[in-house]
Amino acid sequence: MEKTPKMQATNVHVYYGDNHAINKVSLDVFAEDVTALIGPSGCGKSTFLRCLNRMNDSIASARVEGKITLDQQDIYDPKIDVVQLRARVGMVFQKPNPFPKSIYDNIAYGPRIHGLARNGEEMDEMVITSLQKAGLWEEVKDRLEAPGTALSGGQQQRLCIARAIAVNPEVILMDEPCSALDPIATAKIEELIEDLRGRFAIVIVTHNMQQAARVSQKTAFFHLGEVIEYGDTADIFTNPEKEKTKDYITGRYG
Amino acid sequence: MSVSASIFILILLAGAGFFFGRQRSLALVSGKLATLHSLPNQYGWYVGILMLLPGILVILLWIVFSGNIIDTMVIASLPDHAGPATEQARALLLNDIHNTAAGAPHSGSSEIYIQEAAQRYSRLKSQGVNIVSALVALFAVIGGLAGFRTIRPDLRARTHVERVILILLILSSVVAIFATLGIVLSLIVESARFFARVPLAEFFFGLQWSPQTALREDQVGSSGSFGAIPLFAGTLLISFIAMCVAVPLGLMSAIYMTQYSRKNVRKVVKPLLEILAGIPTVVYGFFAALTVAPFIRESGGLLGLDVASESALAAGLVMGIMIIPLMSSLSDDALTAVPEAMRDGSLALGATRSETIKQVLIPAALPGIVGAFLLSVSRAVGETMIVVMAAGLAANLTANPLEAVTTITAQIVALLTGDQEFDSAKTLSAFALGLALFGATLLLNMLALSIVRKYRESYE
Ligand SMILES: Nc1ncnc2c1ncn2[C@@H]1O[C@H](COP(=O)(O)OP(=O)(O)OP(=O)(O)O)[C@@H](O)[C@H]1O
Ligand SMILES: [Mg+2]
Repeated sequence: MEKTPKMQATNVHVYYGDNHAINKVSLDVFAEDVTALIGPSGCGKSTFLRCLNRMNDSIASARVEGKITLDQQDIYDPKIDVVQLRARVGMVFQKPNPFPKSIYDNIAYGPRIHGLARNGEEMDEMVITSLQKAGLWEEVKDRLEAPGTALSGGQQQRLCIARAIAVNPEVILMDEPCSALDPIATAKIEELIEDLRGRFAIVIVTHNMQQAARVSQKTAFFHLGEVIEYGDTADIFTNPEKEKTKDYITGRYG
Repeated sequence: MSVSASIFILILLAGAGFFFGRQRSLALVSGKLATLHSLPNQYGWYVGILMLLPGILVILLWIVFSGNIIDTMVIASLPDHAGPATEQARALLLNDIHNTAAGAPHSGSSEIYIQEAAQRYSRLKSQGVNIVSALVALFAVIGGLAGFRTIRPDLRARTHVERVILILLILSSVVAIFATLGIVLSLIVESARFFARVPLAEFFFGLQWSPQTALREDQVGSSGSFGAIPLFAGTLLISFIAMCVAVPLGLMSAIYMTQYSRKNVRKVVKPLLEILAGIPTVVYGFFAALTVAPFIRESGGLLGLDVASESALAAGLVMGIMIIPLMSSLSDDALTAVPEAMRDGSLALGATRSETIKQVLIPAALPGIVGAFLLSVSRAVGETMIVVMAAGLAANLTANPLEAVTTITAQIVALLTGDQEFDSAKTLSAFALGLALFGATLLLNMLALSIVRKYRESYE
């Protein structure tokens, strides 16, 4: 039986001014999977990821063509409210970027702007469960009023994931979430991704082949703005169809 | 021969020294640069500096001391009956002699001995210059030869040259520091003289400011009172009005410029704001006095309010406009320094732009914005021209912005313009006011800078 994709990109092109950064990319994201985007630097992984929650809107020179849907609904439809879209499609960035607020307020930020909690108790509840889901609760439960910036890099990144989880999104986009972290913090985030799988559709950009192999079920290999190969992670890593993919994942790319 | 001519010749000589020093170093190693300790140019500088330094020293000494020495010699040579009895007479006499020597149309008293003294003065002066020129040339030649002869491939010319440069740099900063110290010191000394006559408590807590002191013993009613509270209050009132204008407008224009405007709008608007910062304050001053003040007075009249023709409101409003560019460009810096990632993080959570600005960007930039605010206050407190022209001189103690008030700076100007006796309490009070002002702005600036600096570090 064919599953219906959570998000579906069809013939997407992205231009930065005259620079054609994404060329006719079609890609399905499934709700129960972690989808990894791999490829050499500058091939357009981040650009594509940012299309999925329209973060490219804030780049004046960026222009997106083609169709991207979330639950069959076109997200570039003028009737779509970007604010709503981003509440459903959350994002975690390469460098941890906690707000200059307390740990509590960092998590509560999203629920507050979307009016998700009716009172203080509900908010407390939401903050606690988000921190628990992000595996950070034990480490910070005694210092919720400490500034988010006072945490370690790995903790900050989990805080950012907790912050994204708090608005209860359906999809979480992660752009190289571990590239600024040490191996132990990375392992924690990978565990967390494994935990979150199934509850959220996850799309992750990574430069780390092992990481892609470990955490994802689907992998897309990007090259020069095109998707060269897309399929089950197991197939891509053990038995790639395209020569280019094979070269890249075996490190012979260059 | 004049001093400037000898400086010119000295530079020419040193230039030649540079050239020969350079040639010499090259010749010594027959072009093999690697065997030279330093670069050929550095050998050139080495010789050039050896030629320049003694000459410059001689010229400096001449400039500093020649006047006094020649004056003393001229006075000593006067015939006995003309010798000045007092310091003052001596100064007058010298003045006469200098004027006569300069060929100025002098004031009738062209006594024969003054004519003679003037001639002697001119002669001594030109002889002195000739001697100086000769010395300069001589030292240059000696220095040049010494330098030239000591050039060897292993001479550490670079080290010597760099040391001279280092000393020059240190000297320049020392000059700046000493100038500041001198200014502060003179402020303190003069203020001390003031406080010897007027008690500190009266100055800082007195409510009455009328610095007119009796010129003659028999004058009545102007004993002078130096309570500076009305001035402090006036300064604060006007600064407060100015900040009410500058902070919201400056901050909002910075927000618009950093968050909303397109690149090409920013390209036009930012320089326009900077033009606003370039308008001389005296222009703001007459804008305040001739345009804004009458306008406020008339509109106040329509509302049935009694507005003074020189109101705190007019001065404050215009001062606020003047400060907008400062406030906006400093806030702009603070907002731009907030990492893009912070904004993206908020937008990605589904926050709108204004929510992001209000709840993330401004809190993140707050220390910088506070710094901007403090620097703006310090600017407002120290602003002079606008208040002199538009705020008036009446030392009213009032919180009503429609009345005339005066400020510290406006009073200092009033106290020191025109003919003054330099040791009356009235004149000296200007220094005390200056010291108070200096202390206040110094404090504000230090606070602002420390906040701004701390905040910079946190994003590095
Ligand atoms: N804001 C932007 N403005 C203009 N061009 C951009 C912008 N962001 C990316 N690009 C261009 O788009 C192309 C793809 O960039 P992108 O950041 O998507 O690559 P990437 O695959 O994420 O690379 P990396 O692995 O280094 O993060 C590059 O050529 C880049 O120069
Ligand atoms: Mg990227």
